Amino acid sequence: MDRRDFLRRAAKAGISIAAAGSLSLWLHDRVGPGRGEEEGELVRVPDFSLPEIGRRIAIVTGTNRRETVGRAIEALGGMEVFIKKGDRVLLKVNAAFASPPTLSATTNPELLAEVAGLCLKAGAVSVAVSDNPINDPVSCFTLSGIAEAARSAGAKVMLPAEGAFRTTTVPGSTLLRGWPILWEPLRGITKLIGLAPVKNHHRSGASMAMKNWYGLLGGRRNIFHQDINTIIKDLALMVRPTLVILDGTTTMMTNGPTGGSLADLKQTNTMIVSTDQVAADACGATLLGMTPADLPFITRAAAAGIGTAEFESLRPVRLSVG
Amino acid sequence: MARTPGKTETLIGYAILLLLVVTAGSLFLTQFRYNAAVLTPNALQPESSSPSAAPRPDLRALAPEGLVALSQPETFGPETLSEKIDGKAELYLAAGFVQLLTQRFSRKGNPQAWLEFFLYDMGSSKNAFAVYSVQRREDGQRIDLGDFAYTTEDALFFVHGQYYAEVIAPALGKGAAEILPALGRGVVEKVKASREGMAELALFPAEHLKRETISLLAADAFGFDRFRSVFTAQYTMGDTELTAFLSQQARPAEAAELAAAYHQFLLNNGGKEVKPGPGLSGVRMVELFGTYELVFSQGSMLAGVHGAEKREAAEQLARVLKQRLSGVGT
Repeated sequence: MDRRDFLRRAAKAGISIAAAGSLSLWLHDRVGPGRGEEEGELVRVPDFSLPEIGRRIAIVTGTNRRETVGRAIEALGGMEVFIKKGDRVLLKVNAAFASPPTLSATTNPELLAEVAGLCLKAGAVSVAVSDNPINDPVSCFTLSGIAEAARSAGAKVMLPAEGAFRTTTVPGSTLLRGWPILWEPLRGITKLIGLAPVKNHHRSGASMAMKNWYGLLGGRRNIFHQDINTIIKDLALMVRPTLVILDGTTTMMTNGPTGGSLADLKQTNTMIVSTDQVAADACGATLLGMTPADLPFITRAAAAGIGTAEFESLRPVRLSVG
Repeated sequence: MARTPGKTETLIGYAILLLLVVTAGSLFLTQFRYNAAVLTPNALQPESSSPSAAPRPDLRALAPEGLVALSQPETFGPETLSEKIDGKAELYLAAGFVQLLTQRFSRKGNPQAWLEFFLYDMGSSKNAFAVYSVQRREDGQRIDLGDFAYTTEDALFFVHGQYYAEVIAPALGKGAAEILPALGRGVVEKVKASREGMAELALFPAEHLKRETISLLAADAFGFDRFRSVFTAQYTMGDTELTAFLSQQARPAEAAELAAAYHQFLLNNGGKEVKPGPGLSGVRMVELFGTYELVFSQGSMLAGVHGAEKREAAEQLARVLKQRLSGVGT
């Protein structure tokens, strides 16, 4: 090979590499795969918390949910502290399963009706109730008693219709990047309250206030079960609620999150209401016979600065009803 | 005729090789930056049923007189199971889940009185026993529907061949005590099922054994990712509760290697080597956070005692277990 031949070959190789590179650049999708045209731009869940109120928690024991939740909210200053005249409120329930209220796998309808009523009484112009159970939402909302409870209390049920999802990326999160969330019920609201039962969970150990936001996820969210503690922490980063209500009146001690029998349940007669979702879950853990340290999602959320796992440090208001 | 490359050619050659190495390195590093969002919603869309699933039974044909279908039957495969049972799906998937068939029924003329029937095809009776056993309710009442069946006041749970069945009926009201067994009998009599033996069930020493506690852990038993298909059983010895375990391996060498690996796993996680007492040759014992772990192999069987609070009781149970396995020639 002479010098001329070498240069000719080198030029050909260079042109080939440049062509391949240009083609790759042209084909490269900087945005990544989308999930449909309806998603449009990234959305971000607003911060619904009330920093002026600070981190507070009330723990009320008793068997009657209407009474215990009422007293707990009253102990934190009354619903008027959280809901102002003209507010549009979303109540994020757990309606994950088409199971009857007696199994305590879903948000209790009586509790929902009471909280919806308190919001309206405090001056809310609208109260919506929503969740994304994925499978057969109509049956889930109907058979759990949530739909009827919402209707009777003057709240509106928003089912996860097609087109109700938008893509979000949560700053600082590990997994929530470009992921679809149930957006339509969140659009235009001014206050957000989470209502969740205390349950054992096969994967994460417990399903409580923070895990309840899992129901806002769309897409093939089951892949997150592989890293359940991280996704729960990420969800708590994504959602800054006005208030969380953790219902430990009847706790699902085993075989969660579905349960399936009254034999899985235990009367623990405790209602937890807090502005700090981490503190609420830390308190809820004790109803399951655990400590907050037993549940990695609590320690991770606390480490991320979302709230405190030392719920006693918030000096809980403790009351008993009945 | 070949000639020695010039200096420039050599340098260019090295540069190209370097570029290839850098490209390969970049690809290697990028693959670790997992982004769940890259998976589009349809990317994992499953088939409506797994190709290996048994023929789908007609649940309506199994329902006793007086029940009518309240919903259409639904089928879930491994990729869609979590849509129905959320976080509990992993329990079934780890145990070899094939397909779930489910349908709601109500009393004729009273849709408010309803139940839901779940029929899980787990691929084998051993897999079905695994999910049955780890979810067993302590206060369940045994019912005559085969070896593994019980009811609670509002539900029925049983194994039929490769199927694990649940009938959830808290909304059914009065009469559940008759309807649930009738539905169960419909399954046992009309659904063809394959059965396989579980020899391990008979290998646990009978004395002090709480037979109803025998369970099968499909994967990651005791947090050790190499422990798969491990049978456990509870023993009450005096005032202490103990857990014995057994797991059949293909060959004696595999059982011995797995016992050694578990022993090492315990030591790696803060365990302290403890010399076992007499009659326990070949048994490895570790103290871990104030509890005792004993592991050994006997033939092709891996066995041991897990998480015992009292050393003497743990050693006694291991001794009896070892003798039992030796006696049956595993």
